[in-house]
Amino acid sequence: MNRKKGDKGFESPRPYKLTHQVVCINNINFQRRSVVGYVELTIFPTVANLNRIKLNSKQCRIYRVRVNDLEAAFIYNDPTLEVCHHESKQRNLNYFSNAYAAAVSAVDPDAGNGELCIKVPSELWKHVDELKVLKVHINFSLDQPKGGLHFVVPNMEGSMAERGAHVFSCGYQNSTRFWFPCVDSYSELCTWKLEYTVDAAMVAVSNGDLVETVYTHDMRKKTFHYMLTIPTAASNISLAIGPFEILVDPYMHEVTHFCLPQLLPLLKHTTSYLHEVFEFYEEILTCRYPYSCFKTVFIDEAYVEVAAYASMSIFSTNLLHSAMIIDETPLTRRCLAQALAQQFFGCFISRMSWSDEWVLKGISGYIYGLWMKKTFGVNEYRHWIKQELDQIVAYELKTGGVLLHPIFGGGKEKDNPASHLHFSIKHPHTLSWEYYTMFQCKAHLVMRLIENRISMEFMLQVFNKLLSLASTASSQKFQSHMWSQMLVSTSGFLKSISNVSGKDIQPLIKQWVDQSGVVKFYGSFAFNRKRNVLELEIKQDYTSPGTQKYVGPLKVTVQELDGSFNHTLQIEENSLKHDIPCHSKSRRNKKKKIPLMNGEEVDMDLSAMDADSPLLWIRIDPDMSVLRKVEFEQSDFMWQYQLRYERDVVAQEEAILALEKFPTPASRLALTDILEQEQCFYRVRMLACFCLAKIANSMVSTWTGPPAMKSLFTRMFCCKTCPNIVKTNNFMNFQSYFLQKTMPVAMALLRDVHNLCPKEVLMFILDLIKYNDNRKNKFSDNYYRAELIDALANSVTPAVSVNNEVRTLDNLNPDVRLILEEITRFLNMEKLLPSYRHTITVSCLKAIRVLQKNGHVPSDPALFKSYAEYGHFVDVRIAALEAVVDYTKVDRSYEELQWLLTMVHNDPVPYIRHKILDMLTKNPPFTKNMESPLCNEALVDQLWKLMNSGTSHDWRLRCGAVDLYFTLFGLSRPSCLPLPELGLVLNLKEKKAVLNPTIIPESVVNPQEPVASANNHGQSVGFQSTFSNPQEEEEIDMDTVHDSQAFIYHHLNMLERPSTPGKEQSSGEITMHPVVAAPLSVFSKESNSSKHSDHHHHHHHEHKKKKKKHKHKHKHKHKHDSKEKEKDPFSFSNSPASARSIRSPSLSD
Amino acid sequence: MLQSYVSEIGRSAKSYCEHTARTQPTLSDIVVTLVEMGFNVETLPAYAKRSQRMVITAPPVTNQPVTPKALTAGQNKPHPSHIPGHFPEFPDPHTYIKTPTYREPVSDYQVLREKAASQRRDVERALTRFMAKTGETQSLFKDDVSTFPLIAARPFTVPYLTALLPSELEMQQMEETDSSEQDDQTDTENLPLHITTDDSGPEKENASVLQQNTSLSGSRNGEENMIDNPYLRPVKKPKIRRKK
Repeated sequence: MNRKKGDKGFESPRPYKLTHQVVCINNINFQRRSVVGYVELTIFPTVANLNRIKLNSKQCRIYRVRVNDLEAAFIYNDPTLEVCHHESKQRNLNYFSNAYAAAVSAVDPDAGNGELCIKVPSELWKHVDELKVLKVHINFSLDQPKGGLHFVVPNMEGSMAERGAHVFSCGYQNSTRFWFPCVDSYSELCTWKLEYTVDAAMVAVSNGDLVETVYTHDMRKKTFHYMLTIPTAASNISLAIGPFEILVDPYMHEVTHFCLPQLLPLLKHTTSYLHEVFEFYEEILTCRYPYSCFKTVFIDEAYVEVAAYASMSIFSTNLLHSAMIIDETPLTRRCLAQALAQQFFGCFISRMSWSDEWVLKGISGYIYGLWMKKTFGVNEYRHWIKQELDQIVAYELKTGGVLLHPIFGGGKEKDNPASHLHFSIKHPHTLSWEYYTMFQCKAHLVMRLIENRISMEFMLQVFNKLLSLASTASSQKFQSHMWSQMLVSTSGFLKSISNVSGKDIQPLIKQWVDQSGVVKFYGSFAFNRKRNVLELEIKQDYTSPGTQKYVGPLKVTVQELDGSFNHTLQIEENSLKHDIPCHSKSRRNKKKKIPLMNGEEVDMDLSAMDADSPLLWIRIDPDMSVLRKVEFEQSDFMWQYQLRYERDVVAQEEAILALEKFPTPASRLALTDILEQEQCFYRVRMLACFCLAKIANSMVSTWTGPPAMKSLFTRMFCCKTCPNIVKTNNFMNFQSYFLQKTMPVAMALLRDVHNLCPKEVLMFILDLIKYNDNRKNKFSDNYYRAELIDALANSVTPAVSVNNEVRTLDNLNPDVRLILEEITRFLNMEKLLPSYRHTITVSCLKAIRVLQKNGHVPSDPALFKSYAEYGHFVDVRIAALEAVVDYTKVDRSYEELQWLLTMVHNDPVPYIRHKILDMLTKNPPFTKNMESPLCNEALVDQLWKLMNSGTSHDWRLRCGAVDLYFTLFGLSRPSCLPLPELGLVLNLKEKKAVLNPTIIPESVVNPQEPVASANNHGQSVGFQSTFSNPQEEEEIDMDTVHDSQAFIYHHLNMLERPSTPGKEQSSGEITMHPVVAAPLSVFSKESNSSKHSDHHHHHHHEHKKKKKKHKHKHKHKHKHDSKEKEKDPFSFSNSPASARSIRSPSLSD
Repeated sequence: MLQSYVSEIGRSAKSYCEHTARTQPTLSDIVVTLVEMGFNVETLPAYAKRSQRMVITAPPVTNQPVTPKALTAGQNKPHPSHIPGHFPEFPDPHTYIKTPTYREPVSDYQVLREKAASQRRDVERALTRFMAKTGETQSLFKDDVSTFPLIAARPFTVPYLTALLPSELEMQQMEETDSSEQDDQTDTENLPLHITTDDSGPEKENASVLQQNTSLSGSRNGEENMIDNPYLRPVKKPKIRRKK
């Protein structure tokens, strides 16, 4: 708890050290979805008076705990089950977020806490004082887990193995506690023995080496024994059981792949590439893969596409593909490479605390980037970096900053570094999923910045050092305390960087790691002909949310007639203008070639440029060595030169985006030239298509010739003899394939003067569909066909509606009829000849929604709802759900919103549940400042319940619910709720209480806590203002104290909290104010409780002492309760009400 | 009447023979025909051997008209044994010469593609309509369920199988294209891939895989049993229960 950040090494927050853990699962029942087993933890006390052992455990029903074979009493208390209590009528998100962070921190293993508190039997106290080993043996079972372990049991005939039933562990960050009791921290390492007894037809895949497989006595089951001798955190333990097909990698026999029945051919193809990734990482890290074996398991209904655990990775089965599939291949390979990078950094090397997470994510992301560069080439790599940079910049500017290395001083809310967010960033489990994704993205970009600074060679040396230290440590016995070498911390990482490189990267770290925000540059220039100087002006916006000020070097590249020159400017506080001397005299000998950055010399047509200036184009921060957004102004011809002649793909992409603003024939020509250039990177060409479409639309009145891209497409992909017929498909050249796919989609965005898609274009696309012939192709054309449908959808324009007539077949636009004809046929053909990943169905559903939205087809969610049902392929479901979400928004349908929320509750697939919330957040039916019939009290209550207690089994889902709540209602009390009747306003965020200013004009200063004004939530009825006499003020004031104290109390002593809700009433220590309807009764109650709190206030310290006594009494009282409960076998389910306290029956007085 | 009777025999014998996919009627076809026409076939041999059957005698020899020699070409076929010698001779051999003619095949690329496309479209439409007619449907328009019938979405028990596995048609296609490497389209040759994307992918990789496979298989044959993967090891029999 009082761990200090520093280089003193790792200090465990626990009064003991875990050295070894046994997990034994004796029985897995697929029918009932239950698991029975035990764990045994070997721990060494590190303090003499250890009498309580706190462990993590969620959902598990714990039968019995023994410490060194002695029965031990235990308390099971999980405040995250229900964050705020029933009686609370609080509905503001600020309150919730704080309470949630407090609840998570109350069980946070990194703070030495846990849900399960085991009392060391008094017989062992002496033993403990000698710091001798303790063995904690816990019998547990898990019944229909809602998180942590996911069962997939297809509903059909046959045995479980025949059905392909399987189960696997999953979760977001450290979620192992969901399926067995453990210290669920990335920093508590130990060795493992894992045993799983499963049906003889099944295979259990887990971490470490499979030592042996033994039949049970009846020969109907077998037990898999695994040993993991490399110290590993519980959070990196995983499991997958199912009737898997086994494939031993033909190149590396230590590597084994598993997939579900019938998919073996796909598995063979998909994993045939993996050994190259292995080779790559081992080579750059000059380090062997740390584990003795590696397993990949491909499972259905995956929680995430890739999950890395010690010596194994769990992938979504949907990544598997055959040799005929083009589009999925690079994506899957990326996933494999990502998983493998995390094996080194993330699994083998773990982190000390949550604030060091960025190092692991950064390094694994960075080496994954190196792999990308090597595999897909520099262009793809730079394109990817640009994409990631744009993403993080957009996110930070939208939400106000991503902090990589949060430092929390003493847990005070005041110095919360992320006050702009609606969630706490103190714990991984309180983070919004999107934030976490962006966090990972930023982490690897920052690693790249460090590399820019210290060179790649040093960077790799640092990694190698970390790895070799860890692997030395991993082979040590636990007593040597070397294991903490396997944990990485920010300070340790920075130290080894400075040791290896001898460079000071502190400013860089301060800027990007310790601080959130990105840089926003605005650049413009003027050329001073007399001085032959380029006057560059660079402004920064560092006042908007999510931005920060940048001071330091900034590279500017200027392409002149005489060549390309790099200049490093010093960005300082007040200097906006920078003079850059030019090398070339303006206009000169036309014949001479112009040298480019890469040494290439090219001929250019210089007629477009300004005769007075030698400048061709200017780029700011071309290497992306600052996390920034640059808005640079230069003339259109400069962008055009940049597009044509700059060889960097990032520059080309930037030029394309800039050219959108210059719809001129010259831009058109530049774009068309790029499109035709075979040497140009295919993604640039694809981007050029869309830009060309936009330009054509802006130039619609002056456009000459056939629609944009049509003749180009004809030339490239149609038959020479009959230009209206496309060649039979041959996708051997992937660049042309991608272009062929994209061009129709972009063309369909063309609009004529009436803002309709030109008939010619529509016919052209329909012809492409008609003449599409894939018979002689080596590859599947499913993605191509899907994009043709997307193209059809793109061509749809809003229907001309005559006084809101009902959409029927008769008034269907003839063009739309043609489109609909195709969609119908495609969708129906999918039923007979389904395409890979049902890409065509997905596109058809999207297209139908577009038709509905544009008023051609009656808007109706029924079709989508049927495709969204469980049992359809996940991509199809997502597409259908997206349409329903959109319908909910457009038609403001309460019924559909309810349907979606029910699905969030009940759907068997965690990913779908998560995705629905995600889509609702991105495309909300209403937002906080909007009037909507959907926004009502029932919905508020429903969502509140969802995030408060309905999603306690899945961190990601709960955070998703919080995000949605935030989008719909904002941070404060939802406006649709009736006004609160208490005059008191509690600003929980700053832990200050204020009286509602409508009641009392000036804020009341509290003797104990300063009262802040403003930022209050909720409007109050004015009744109390009539009573605003001194006494009343006094009373309310005391109330303030009382409540805030209750909150602090609640916050700090979460675990010491009474174990049943009942106690709260009896002790009177925590009392939430009941909202009472009648003003008069409020008044009387107010005074009552305030007296009480008054008392409490004065005897604050005494109370704390008393509390323990109270607690004891309650234990006694409680035992009866729980005994009674245990008579009823169903009493302790996982429901928040009953699970708050489960006491061992063996507890003796 | 006789004529119509005889021609009926011939016609129906021909159709019997065609029914069995032959072009030349055989004895059995005639027999079946006669039976079909209510004729008692048993009596036929007896009738043929009757004593007072009529025999057509050779017509009195008249002076043969002199045929100009110039017009004969080659040797006429001699009569087979069952034809009496006085019957007229077979026609000249040249009359048997035939030159078969075909209709000019449509070789125009455009027409072919057009045809293939519309044919496939028709088949697809017919098939999907049929499926839609016979099964449950969904419709985009409430008032009209037949113009754009959609086959109802039906959830699968194991959705990933259909989504991931290539269909049989695709498998077939793959085999075909594998055996006959694509060569018909010369104008989209593979340009040398200057950008190393995944594109270096399947092609080159396959080649290297093949190479490695061959090199591997050599060493692997001996090694086959030596692949020591714990998942391939046999499952052990339970030991005598240890005391716990």
